[in-house]
Amino acid sequence: MATVSVPRARWSGRRSTLASVRLAILTFLADPQWLIPSMIAPIIFGFVSYELFLGSPDLIVYVILGAGMMSMWGQTLYGSGWATGQDRNLGTLEPTISAPTPYVFVVLGRILWNVVSGLIGIALVFVVVVAAMGTVPSIDNPLAFAVLFLFTMFTLAAVGTVFAAAYVYTRYAGFIQNVGEFAFYIGTGCMFPIIILPFWTNPIALIFPPSWALDALRYASIPGYVGFGWGMGWDIVGGVATTAAYLLIAGLVFERVERHVLEVGNLQEY
Amino acid sequence: MSFAPAIEARGITRVFQSRKGFFHQDVTRTEALRGVDLTVDAGEIFGLLGPNGAGKTTLTKILTTLLLPTSGIARVLGLDVTKDTERLRARIGLVLGGERGLYNRISARENLRYFADLYGVPVAERDRRVTEVLEWVGLTEAADRRTEEYSRGMKQKLHIARGILHRPEVLFLDEPTIGLDPKSARETRKLIRSLLGQGVTIFLTTHYMFEAEELCHRIGVLSRGRLVAIDTVAGLRDLVGGDRTIEAEDYGFEDAELAAVRHLPGVSKVVHEEYGPVTRLTIRVREGDLGVDAVRACLINHGGLQVRERRTSLEDVYLDLVEEEAP
Ligand SMILES: Nc1ncnc2c1ncn2[C@@H]1O[C@H](COP(=O)(O)OP(=O)(O)O)[C@@H](O)[C@H]1O
Ligand SMILES: [Mg+2]
Repeated sequence: MATVSVPRARWSGRRSTLASVRLAILTFLADPQWLIPSMIAPIIFGFVSYELFLGSPDLIVYVILGAGMMSMWGQTLYGSGWATGQDRNLGTLEPTISAPTPYVFVVLGRILWNVVSGLIGIALVFVVVVAAMGTVPSIDNPLAFAVLFLFTMFTLAAVGTVFAAAYVYTRYAGFIQNVGEFAFYIGTGCMFPIIILPFWTNPIALIFPPSWALDALRYASIPGYVGFGWGMGWDIVGGVATTAAYLLIAGLVFERVERHVLEVGNLQEY
Repeated sequence: MSFAPAIEARGITRVFQSRKGFFHQDVTRTEALRGVDLTVDAGEIFGLLGPNGAGKTTLTKILTTLLLPTSGIARVLGLDVTKDTERLRARIGLVLGGERGLYNRISARENLRYFADLYGVPVAERDRRVTEVLEWVGLTEAADRRTEEYSRGMKQKLHIARGILHRPEVLFLDEPTIGLDPKSARETRKLIRSLLGQGVTIFLTTHYMFEAEELCHRIGVLSRGRLVAIDTVAGLRDLVGGDRTIEAEDYGFEDAELAAVRHLPGVSKVVHEEYGPVTRLTIRVREGDLGVDAVRACLINHGGLQVRERRTSLEDVYLDLVEEEAP
């Protein structure tokens, strides 16, 4: 067979992931429209929640977490799905797939960036609410809080991966995303405390791993928190189980999706 | 370099099912490729020529691993396009061209750097390589401008730069000059020709005969999913044989007149095309010494008639080939 004397290029997953993070940051900086979901929205969420729960200082952590999670969730759904949808719109999906690196590494890079920008969002909410209240809220169990916070970000990344795969699969993925967005906001009590919502809204939220993680996070930070009602332990079990399911789905979907699009030939559609 | 073919396709077919309607109930089946056999040798420029919808893009995507064939086998650099996709993608380049396909909010340099990373161009070489290809396509000055500010021709050059960034052994270009102004098109063809000096095998598609003739060693003519001819430029020219072509133009001709021209001795074919108010008859003469006067005699009632003889061109051969396939 052919022996060619060019130094053979070799792709690496780590390098492609970092390149994808870099591209995400450059795109973010180049496009001011991103400032709205990632920076301004958390501030508004913060203010609205603060007004909503005014006068109940024990709820302050609840407010920060709720508004912060809304921002992170929006960021995950929009960031992961939207970027792949954007690859379709720009016509960059085809050139990207035609590179030797599996597309999943590109997606991974974007999700990493989304997690980071989601964190910036939650930090903003924190600053806004603390400034409005004039006190720094205390956290019941800081260690559990830290661990669960990391876990929550992980659950968000799992969801982002599934949505990104859906976008590679079809340009109609936006529909699923919009439904998912509101089910989460309402079902997890990000917008209104769960207690005041009819019970049937909970099961919808429970199909999303971050709902479980968020509930656990609230147990760790708010003394006397009730939430879904089955305690932090079961929240963690549920969170781990649903995350594992999502990762499994994402893995299967990504394995099939790259093949599927080659069968159907819809990479160029937008 | 080895003597194994760079590209080898056997019995490639591709069927598209597209669905319409709210419940996806209406299924249309398009046979985009109906059994294509093809061999391209290492180091050659091969041109796939065909009208819109002939299946050029479909074949290009199959050979570049972006689409699976419905049946048939294709190997590029000895690698199966449906199985060895990852290894193959690293060794081939693809230029789909067009307005789209670039990250338009960032610079050309950043676009290339991103793809260099995805292709695993050695880190130590990456930035130099990016600068080099930008220079080569003539985008050095615009390199740090956002690509959304680029003209169509500049985008095309950037597409080509991306295609060769990782030093592919085979480069595929799908209609590289479509939609370009004549100057950009000429520059693009020049770039393609200069690649050949670097030992790259080139597979390009076009619907311009002159472009294929100017650039390619061998040409395959694709019509409705079938290769209806595959030969060198000289070989295709032989298909012209001793044919001569006479053209007659005026404002419309009667059926009886057309019939008379058709029945002239030696006439093998008469094509009539409308150009606005003007009708042009293209008369192919296979044998004998039929001249312009004999044609004029059949069309005696036309005051403004223009008749001239011209050389039969490759374009005529191409149109014949493509037309014969039509149902
Ligand atoms: N993704 C697709 N879905 C359905 N039909 C398609 C698709 N891509 C191409 N076709 C059809 O296949 C045929 C060949 O298309 P194409 O390969 O794009 O031709 P060319 O590039 O020569 O213009 C056309 O009839 C086209 O409509
Ligand atoms: Mg085409």
